[in-house]
Amino acid sequence: MTDVTATTAVAEAPAAPKKPLLTQRQKSKFIDFLFVLPALALLALFTYYPIAKLFQISLTDWNLLKPEWNFVGLKNWKWLFAGSGAKYLWNSLKVTFLYSLGEIAATMVGGICLALLFKRMTRGFSAMRAILFVPKYVAMSSCAVVFLWILNTDYGVLNYLLSLIGVQPVDWLNQESTALLSVLMTTCWRVFGYGMMIYLSAMMGISPQYYEAASLDGANSREQFFKITLPLLSPTTLFLLVTTFLSSMKVFQSVDILTQGGPARSTEVFVYLIYKYAMVDFRMDRAATSAVMFFVILLCITVATMKYSNNSVNYDA
Amino acid sequence: MNPETAIRRKKHGFGYHLNTVVAVLITIIMLFPLYWMLATSVKSAEEVQRIIPTLFPHSFHPENYFNVLTRANFLKYYWNTIVMTAGILILQVGTGTLAAYGFACGDFKGRNVLFYVVLGALMIPLQVTFIPIYIMCANWNLTDTFLGLILPEAVSAYYIFMMRNSFLAIDQSYVDAGRIDGLGRFGIIWNVLVPMSKATIFTVTLVTFSNGWNAYFWPKIIAKNEVRRVLTVGLAQLKNTFAGQAVSNYHEIMAGAVLAVLPLIILFLVFQKYMMTGYSKAAMK
Repeated sequence: MTDVTATTAVAEAPAAPKKPLLTQRQKSKFIDFLFVLPALALLALFTYYPIAKLFQISLTDWNLLKPEWNFVGLKNWKWLFAGSGAKYLWNSLKVTFLYSLGEIAATMVGGICLALLFKRMTRGFSAMRAILFVPKYVAMSSCAVVFLWILNTDYGVLNYLLSLIGVQPVDWLNQESTALLSVLMTTCWRVFGYGMMIYLSAMMGISPQYYEAASLDGANSREQFFKITLPLLSPTTLFLLVTTFLSSMKVFQSVDILTQGGPARSTEVFVYLIYKYAMVDFRMDRAATSAVMFFVILLCITVATMKYSNNSVNYDA
Repeated sequence: MNPETAIRRKKHGFGYHLNTVVAVLITIIMLFPLYWMLATSVKSAEEVQRIIPTLFPHSFHPENYFNVLTRANFLKYYWNTIVMTAGILILQVGTGTLAAYGFACGDFKGRNVLFYVVLGALMIPLQVTFIPIYIMCANWNLTDTFLGLILPEAVSAYYIFMMRNSFLAIDQSYVDAGRIDGLGRFGIIWNVLVPMSKATIFTVTLVTFSNGWNAYFWPKIIAKNEVRRVLTVGLAQLKNTFAGQAVSNYHEIMAGAVLAVLPLIILFLVFQKYMMTGYSKAAMK
């Protein structure tokens, strides 16, 4: 590397006798910087500037129906926490966390159970694993309309199957007690195979020597699972916990197609609430305030998990 | 040889067969929604509304697909989705690869700080920032345009992060060798770094593609009108327009659903190995 710069410097020396504006080294650094510039510029424009703007909008009374707006201080924040917005905020927080809990449980518990069931290395099992993983690649919108059809009250196949064992038709999507469950059912179908693949590839990485040693010591397969497999999978579990938690907080599409947040706001997740304030009510001020709140929650989750992950995971695999 | 295979050769116990039976049952249940989508999509309007659903379609109605493609304008949605996905893919791969090179091999002041700026963006999803972005795009007359669909997704912090890791894993001596052979920066990226991280590029790009194809939230906001509606949004719309009064159009909705997932399923079958490892690779990092 030094050779190359030296020769180019020599070659250019007669052509530029005056002192150049930038030294060769500075120029090289500047060119390196130019490589990251497009990405940084786009991030600044579409990620960091909007965050700042969001804080600003949350201090105004801006809605899209009238042309002018004024600063109103913390009025929106009062509305969000102590005013009429509070009960919707807490409701959507509750719904979102319930949903998150469901998706995390489905990914982790479902994933690990399926990984144990499908770990056999034969051609048939490999094909079945592929089938289980396909739903991850089915667009959420297609997935949601299929479940809309399966869960249909009058003609849906699920209610038909239930009627065979004598259960009355359930109005899955239109009653408060089952609406969120229905959304979660759709989610389960999509994430089971994903959780399985992640756990399976982690299990492959565990050295068989651990199991040999354990069986020499007389440990049965259940003890081996709880004493060896599960602890050694903890980095994977943590990875799934963090990524699933963050992605499930952002759930929108399945709710939008299956229930539109209803009935009686029982599936109104946080993003749906923000979306409704902004794109249905056109209350940009309230939407922005809720969005800032959402951002703060995401930030807290990320920071907390990062801190936690540094000292509690078994990396010995 | 895998110890388990060795055991299997010896004798199959009860547990082994129970495992097989349960696994097959679960696979059938998991496959059912896909099958049901396909089966319903070729049924007649009358057959869809039977109280006792038919497992196999009694008559075959491929015209459902033509109805959806022409009457519900899915051909246009296809085109919009393809252009949007291609645009997002090209821009994310382009900006992502350049930035990954800059962060992995470049040498400039503030490199690490700026990389944290990129990582920070991972925490800020479009679901938080869409309000100002929507207003911005509306001011620039980007509603119902391809540019409006593509630009906010033009750079992916995830892509930069994965590519940088992959570039960093390559031994510095290869890069130096390239320099000595007279390669410029683009030459090094194209002839040294990219060929050596093919596997990562492939898998990350596949994930990017499927994310683009399945995008729903932003397209729904920025492209409300027919002209630039994408498949995912069009499909949801199909449900709204038809399912209002009766279920009589579920056969067509399912045909639309099949059309929307077909390209990805084909892609999955072709690149199955890469796609399945793609996610687990991401998990290992």
